[in-house]
Amino acid sequence: MIPERVFNWAVWGGLLAFALLAEALGETYWLTLAARAAIFAIAGVGLNLALGNGGLISFGHAAFFGVGGYAVGILATHAQTYTPLFGLIEGTQSMPVTWSVAIVAGALAALVIGALSLRTSGAYFIMITLAFGQMFYYFAVTWSAYGGEDGMSIYVRGGFPGLNTLDPLHFFGLSFAVLTLVLLLVRMIDRSPFGLALNAVRQSPARVETVGISPRRLRLAAFVVSGAITALAGALFADLNRYVSPAMFSWTISGEIMIFVILGGVARLMGPVVGALVFVALEELLGGLSDYWHIWLGVLLLLIVLFARGGITGALTREARRG
Amino acid sequence: MADPVLSVTGLTKRFGAIEACSDVSLDLHAGEIHALIGPNGAGKSTLIAQIAGGLRPDAGSIRFLGRDVTALDTVARARLGLGRSFQVSAVVPDYSVVENVMLALHGRDRTAFRPFGHAFGKRALTEEARAHAARTHLSDRLNVPARSLAHGERRRLELAMALALRPRAFLLDEPMAGLGQEGAAELTALLSDLRDEAPILLVEHDMDAVFALADRISVLVYGRILATGTPDEIRADPQVRAAYLGDEVPA
Ligand SMILES: Nc1ncnc2c1ncn2[C@@H]1O[C@H](COP(=O)(O)OP(=O)(O)OP(=O)(O)O)[C@@H](O)[C@H]1O
Ligand SMILES: [Mg+2]
Repeated sequence: MIPERVFNWAVWGGLLAFALLAEALGETYWLTLAARAAIFAIAGVGLNLALGNGGLISFGHAAFFGVGGYAVGILATHAQTYTPLFGLIEGTQSMPVTWSVAIVAGALAALVIGALSLRTSGAYFIMITLAFGQMFYYFAVTWSAYGGEDGMSIYVRGGFPGLNTLDPLHFFGLSFAVLTLVLLLVRMIDRSPFGLALNAVRQSPARVETVGISPRRLRLAAFVVSGAITALAGALFADLNRYVSPAMFSWTISGEIMIFVILGGVARLMGPVVGALVFVALEELLGGLSDYWHIWLGVLLLLIVLFARGGITGALTREARRG
Repeated sequence: MADPVLSVTGLTKRFGAIEACSDVSLDLHAGEIHALIGPNGAGKSTLIAQIAGGLRPDAGSIRFLGRDVTALDTVARARLGLGRSFQVSAVVPDYSVVENVMLALHGRDRTAFRPFGHAFGKRALTEEARAHAARTHLSDRLNVPARSLAHGERRRLELAMALALRPRAFLLDEPMAGLGQEGAAELTALLSDLRDEAPILLVEHDMDAVFALADRISVLVYGRILATGTPDEIRADPQVRAAYLGDEVPA
């Protein structure tokens, strides 16, 4: 058992060290894996804000992941074909711009989905968020202007000022930096007055109401920030693969993001990061042996849920966490 | 007499066949403790819940500080200055005493949506949280999670959170329950001081406390107000004696 702070730094440093080692050994595939893990981790950190802190079991976060991906894909498509969007806006592959669009689009999608879904709670909330995710999925499948079922290819990865994003180390570094910023943001939120209220509303909404704070508005605000973060992950994922398709909206993505959180530790800052790392490692190690590697993931998940309530983070660390 | 701080008129609430609250009217004036007594299941908590906003009445109206608040939700009423404590403690279980009180302070100050800055970043606010805890004798339990508190301590934390709101009226649902004799005596002294800060609508089964504290008493039986009056009037009321008090009244 180690203090959670030490554990958090070890996870953060471990991922960075792994990437630097891969670079030193010239293993570019490992670097791509590390970037993939970092991006999944961002998506999980986003979900954790809603699920862990807010107690909102969203089974529809693929909607935001996909919205972020499509924002990048659509802007890239218009840039590639030199046809302005709506005949007005030039396409672009500049990451600062595409990320901003992804974040805003994700926040708006979360605002709409959240405003409608948060009228319900419990199992209904799970089902309605799942239903919204599926709506986005089928919409993308039928959206022939942007590839329909086939999705869109991005010929050249988006660019970032001062970096060569085609270099796997640079792209990893970018993803890792975004992950770090998102973690700092979530940590700031967790310690703020908003975090105090959000972690309280999960436990005792009636009490929060009687001190004059609206539980519904708190949850909606958390859901919007959560959706925006997951959309940013989707944007990076699109550039990682240089390909966007309706699969990004698939309910299995929602499930996987949820697995990152549960595996690593619900409401733990680094929980989703640990979960994403373990997920990508298992996928890589077991996926090569058998197509049915998900069975082993399932077994691990079952053990975690049954025996370690704080996920892997909870099993390995001590330190009473607040709320 | 000046306008009442809080006034309830013709409040009615049905749960299926049960009329938990039947045409209830009562006032709460500045500076008074108005006790609401009655047997178990009389509808006292149901009345408090309707005044606080968690429960919609089927009929009747509620005025607070000169405005009709019947259509407002709990959050809006709390912001206007209704400070409530629950019969079954509803403090945040994983939060320590000081975190619970701090939550109330951020609610009062409208800072609960601030996503930056430490929740405990303001020295003055932290000091104030400690002061509210001290007033309810929780100073040596500041960092204990609410779920590990003894029952009586949790009751006092409920009250500390209501105090932190600096409300314009208190709605206290059995704050003495489970406090023990010494605790009840301490709380009686505190509530007595409190009435000068804001009037109190006090639901309480502890008749020693009620008759020591109340300026006026209303007796609720089967959802109806049987009588309202000064402690002496209520003590002497034959109807009340028959229906509820019996030999419970302290001489
Ligand atoms: N949500 C509800 N649904 C159905 N019936 C309810 C509900 N809440 C209260 N009741 C019923 O309404 C009546 C009044 O209950 P209430 O809790 O207000 O009584 P009380 O005077 O506070 O009693 P006690 O002294 O035991 O706290 C009871 O018969 C109770 O069973
Ligand atoms: Mg009651």
